Amino acid sequence: MGPERLAFRLLLPSVAVLLLVIAYPVLRAVYGSFFDDRPMGPAAFIGFDNYARALWGAGGADFWAAFRVTFLFTVVTVVLEVLIGLGMAAIMHRSFRGRGLLRASVLVPWAIPTAVAAVLWRWAFDPRGIVNHLFGADVTWTGAEWPSKFAIVFADTWKTAPFVALLILAGLQIIPKEVYEAARIDGAGVLHRFRHITLPLVKPALVVAVLFRMLDALRLYDLPAILTNGANDTTTLSILVVRASLGDLKPGYGGALSTLTFLLIFVTAFLFVRLLGAGALGRDRT
Amino acid sequence: MTFRKTRLAACASAGILTMLLSACGGGTPAASDDSGLGPGRGPIVFASGKDFTAEMNTLLAKWNEAHPQETVKMLELSASPDDQRASFVQNFQAKSSAYDVLWSDVVWTSEFASRGWLEPLDKAALGGPDILPTAVQTAEYDGKLYGAPFITNAALLFYRKDLVPEPPTTWAEMWAACDEHLTPEMSCYAGQFAQYEGLTVNAAEAVNGAGGAFLSDDGKTVAVDSPEARAGLQTLVDAMKNGKISKDAITYKEEESRRAFVEGRLMFLRNWPYVYTSAGAADSAVKDKFGTALLPGVNGPGSSSLGGIDLVVSAFSKHKETAKDWIAFMQSEETQRFVVAKMNQASVRAALYDDPELIAQSPYLPTLKQSLTTATPRPRTADYNAVTLAVQTNAYAALQGGKSVDQAITDMASQLSAAIAQ
Repeated sequence: MGPERLAFRLLLPSVAVLLLVIAYPVLRAVYGSFFDDRPMGPAAFIGFDNYARALWGAGGADFWAAFRVTFLFTVVTVVLEVLIGLGMAAIMHRSFRGRGLLRASVLVPWAIPTAVAAVLWRWAFDPRGIVNHLFGADVTWTGAEWPSKFAIVFADTWKTAPFVALLILAGLQIIPKEVYEAARIDGAGVLHRFRHITLPLVKPALVVAVLFRMLDALRLYDLPAILTNGANDTTTLSILVVRASLGDLKPGYGGALSTLTFLLIFVTAFLFVRLLGAGALGRDRT
Repeated sequence: MTFRKTRLAACASAGILTMLLSACGGGTPAASDDSGLGPGRGPIVFASGKDFTAEMNTLLAKWNEAHPQETVKMLELSASPDDQRASFVQNFQAKSSAYDVLWSDVVWTSEFASRGWLEPLDKAALGGPDILPTAVQTAEYDGKLYGAPFITNAALLFYRKDLVPEPPTTWAEMWAACDEHLTPEMSCYAGQFAQYEGLTVNAAEAVNGAGGAFLSDDGKTVAVDSPEARAGLQTLVDAMKNGKISKDAITYKEEESRRAFVEGRLMFLRNWPYVYTSAGAADSAVKDKFGTALLPGVNGPGSSSLGGIDLVVSAFSKHKETAKDWIAFMQSEETQRFVVAKMNQASVRAALYDDPELIAQSPYLPTLKQSLTTATPRPRTADYNAVTLAVQTNAYAALQGGKSVDQAITDMASQLSAAIAQ
């Protein structure tokens, strides 16, 4: 038995586990989405009715509101996190005393479970909390539409910008010093070096970072669930899915919603990789 | 070394697989038939919410000593009601016999019963005249009893007796008392107005107090589109607008509002009896300065929403007879006395509210009894989750001023009919 076959066999148990815990629930939800949600007795096959209800039927208003707010959160947080992450990575890339400590401490927000961070931020954004206290403000952060959205974007950025920074830092570190030296000899200034060397060479890492963040942000759940419970137009698609399946006990309709969310995320990621990141995942450039 | 590592990895993943498979297979079925106890008897599992007092163990030990072959094991679930409900639902959907008796929030009982997940119970034995009738109502669905009321709960109006000598009985009296006695750093009134179940409770009290209702008594038709319901919601919206309710209160859940009162920032607070303990504690700013009264209404005292816990027996339990005996034990006078004295909860037995010994310990009991006997259960419907969401979102929008009261009630009515028609 060759080493490759051995490797294949050794991987089989893991593959089986993955199939069991990932493929089965996903397929089960898709299958279930074609059935109705009667309280008693066997569910009846209703084809695409659940999807029709979500997209243009009774659930349409909720679905499209959640769709809009989910994409709003995604665009705003990803842009902020990439900008801040780039800045943080640039600082961490330089050598100075205490760099190791800085790199480790930057990760602290990322290491805190999102649900715990959400509770901390709920206290901070309380009308009598630290945020109002520091700024001498009197804002009911979680009690009005735009302050709520701001609070969620802020907490999400606080938590995940360090993650983006680390991915970008990894990309920065593989850029050989010689390239910069050559550019400097040719008389390229700081901005030039950033635009023509750093950015193109760090792009693969950047694309991966943005992709990860986008996938994450599109299924945002914990922060709005804990900060606002979906009030003030902060009900994301994931909140809608959980509400339908677990809250309303409608696994069929919930399955349709989760399949739609899955498709949306898939299409968005696919378009992103196609349009921006061709090669970024390491196919036609090393 | 490499070989050892890969083998370890393979074993580990195989191990995980076995664990998963056995976890999926469920527990070993209990052998009830060869225990000599007869059918439906044997050890049972009680899935409960979080027991903050740890006193439940005393009750279990007492039962288990007397019934060595029908022991009860308590499985304490998360403190969050949503998580409790989620694990109950998963078990029911899998038709699992892992939980025999469950701790059901009063608003879940109809929902569970309507899906055929609960065993019907004997009303004469578990919902008789000694049990508060409002508590029994919460456990009924389609004319049958599906739960044994175990703990009940109704709201009280906490007020500052140092500032307001006589508690108000109507909203108008309450606002007048504030106009007269309010100090600048205080706000007049608060309940729970964040968008969650607490808002449904508060909105229901305002609407019920004005003579309105969300759904008909049987939960089958929408009743909210009425002048009374509009007047009820208007009371809260007006108070929010003119500052009688502080604008921070739109973020209040039970704890935030309790803190405001205990720190001396509130004249009147609508909350559950648990506030009594912390308001009377040594570090409270209102120690010895507060009293309890009934919630205000339009022409006299209002009507509280009803909270509490029913003990329900799973339709998939293998030991239903033991389960029924045990919930009867939990409802017995002796156990209920323990529930009041040691666990600080409101009993479902009316007689205990007149007990001098217990009143000495919890002086609010007579007021609570009045609040309980005039309380209104929240809508009893199989689609409670969608119903409460329709109430919450529209009441919240009205309180924020984003919707007029008229529009909020109209929207609520149409969303409620969609919710119960599903």
